[in-house]
Amino acid sequence: MTNKTTSEYEVLSPWSEADTKPLRGIAPRLTDLAGKKIGLLCNPKRAAQPILTVAERLLKERFPTSEISWFRSQSFSVSALEPDRKTEFEDWIKGVDAVVAAVGD
Amino acid sequence: METRNKPTVTLVNKGFFNDAGSASSGKGMPALRVVPLELPYETNVMEDIEPAVNAVMDDIIAGLTKPLTEEEASPKQKEAEKPQRIIFRGSLEEVNRFFYQRGWADGLPIIPPTEEAVAEMLTGTDLPPDHLLGKLISRSGKATVEKIAINAVMAGALPTYMPVLIAGVRLLLESEPGFMGFCTFGFSTGSWAPFWIINGPVRNEIYVNNSSGALSPGNIANAAIGRAMGLIIKNIGGVRKGVEDMGVMGNPLKYTMVISENEEESPWEPLQVEYGYQKEDSTVTVSYPNGYLQHWPYNANDEGILCAVLDNIPRAMRCTTIMTPAHARILARAGWSKESIKTFISEYARGSTSHFGNGGEGAAPDGLTKGKAPVPGAEQTPRIADPSFIRIIVAGGPGAFIAHVVGGGATPGKKQTQKLELPANWDKLVARYKNVVPTYARY
Repeated sequence: MTNKTTSEYEVLSPWSEADTKPLRGIAPRLTDLAGKKIGLLCNPKRAAQPILTVAERLLKERFPTSEISWFRSQSFSVSALEPDRKTEFEDWIKGVDAVVAAVGD
Repeated sequence: METRNKPTVTLVNKGFFNDAGSASSGKGMPALRVVPLELPYETNVMEDIEPAVNAVMDDIIAGLTKPLTEEEASPKQKEAEKPQRIIFRGSLEEVNRFFYQRGWADGLPIIPPTEEAVAEMLTGTDLPPDHLLGKLISRSGKATVEKIAINAVMAGALPTYMPVLIAGVRLLLESEPGFMGFCTFGFSTGSWAPFWIINGPVRNEIYVNNSSGALSPGNIANAAIGRAMGLIIKNIGGVRKGVEDMGVMGNPLKYTMVISENEEESPWEPLQVEYGYQKEDSTVTVSYPNGYLQHWPYNANDEGILCAVLDNIPRAMRCTTIMTPAHARILARAGWSKESIKTFISEYARGSTSHFGNGGEGAAPDGLTKGKAPVPGAEQTPRIADPSFIRIIVAGGPGAFIAHVVGGGATPGKKQTQKLELPANWDKLVARYKNVVPTYARY
């Protein structure tokens, strides 16, 4: 065993710098869901659709005048929607007042 | 949705609550309202889902209707994170303990990244230390050449590996959003590990093993390149296991999985030529497997090799099959090319549909969930339906084994290969480290 372990090392940080992202707030909430158009957004993971199916039923029970619509993404990453469905998604999102999303994990 | 001014609540399994927090902060919206569900992972069993959703209905409604707090409406901007350049002073043990406790190591001892060691590492590139290659997900960490070099020193890399590491980082940076790149496989529950294949003249200059035990420990290049990339992903990208990397089981291949192709002994065109580069180009190619298996051929002829492949290759989205030079020559002699083998596998490697369910993700294999055995004589489904998702490379030593890198194969149309850029003094650099090879004493 040498005395190498008693040497002192001055070391550089491996952790990268990162710019701060400008933080954004979330959208103002609704006062009530009655009579509102609620969108359900799921990815193709196994749990996502059944979770929202139950949520749909319970929302309708509590807010019978609400209208529910679905967008079923074929992409696992909901933020990376299929490029060829962007227009379809934009039309759908324009037509809803609020969204409940489930990603299946 | 929130950016389109639509109040949104996102339902995630309780175990992914922290991950959801990192993801929303990473996208600049830390106050995203997320409701955790307590239920088995990836289930479609309604008996479990019904009570779990029922239990959080008030939270879902509140998520859409409860007025925003000041912080939710207008989050306080954070100051830019600027870590000190010199971060610590101490003995070998103290440095190792400090890095480990900060979450910057991988469980194995590291080489202290001193100013001198990093300066030596930087001789492996002509790029200046502050050159910014890009910002790596998930924390958009700045991938500067110096940060790559620091992580390379920690991993025990030689300066001659810098061109591979820089090319590897470029591959990660250029991974397209969507399902098929680092932005999915670096984080997924599937524990996908980057598998790096090196082609071209650099392979031999930096001694990337492609012969006996190519994927076993014992060669610095194979060991340190993969390890350095793992540290880069962790310390530059900020992808930590259990926080951003949600691999369920984890994967020992994440320590390192690096190989080169034995182009000299292959009867076929090497991978980089297959992908449109010249034979003189050195390249690195990445894919993300989550498993690795090996098996014998049934005989030392094309039928014996390929029938064993059909029986043993598992169902996967994609696959890299590694043939030894000896098997490759047998197959080539019988008229097989890389392309014809891929087509053969996609056509004839099949399994019973009842094992797979009838629709993949989202579909329940009813027979299994009801406790029944798979249906005998059920329809046979291709294990890898598209031949263009299969890669074949030649590597491995003497002996008769075939390997399949499961899940890690070609991603047609996506960035998967990067050409290496070598520094002007490359030949001198190679000469400086040419003796760094193991010599095993005979006994």
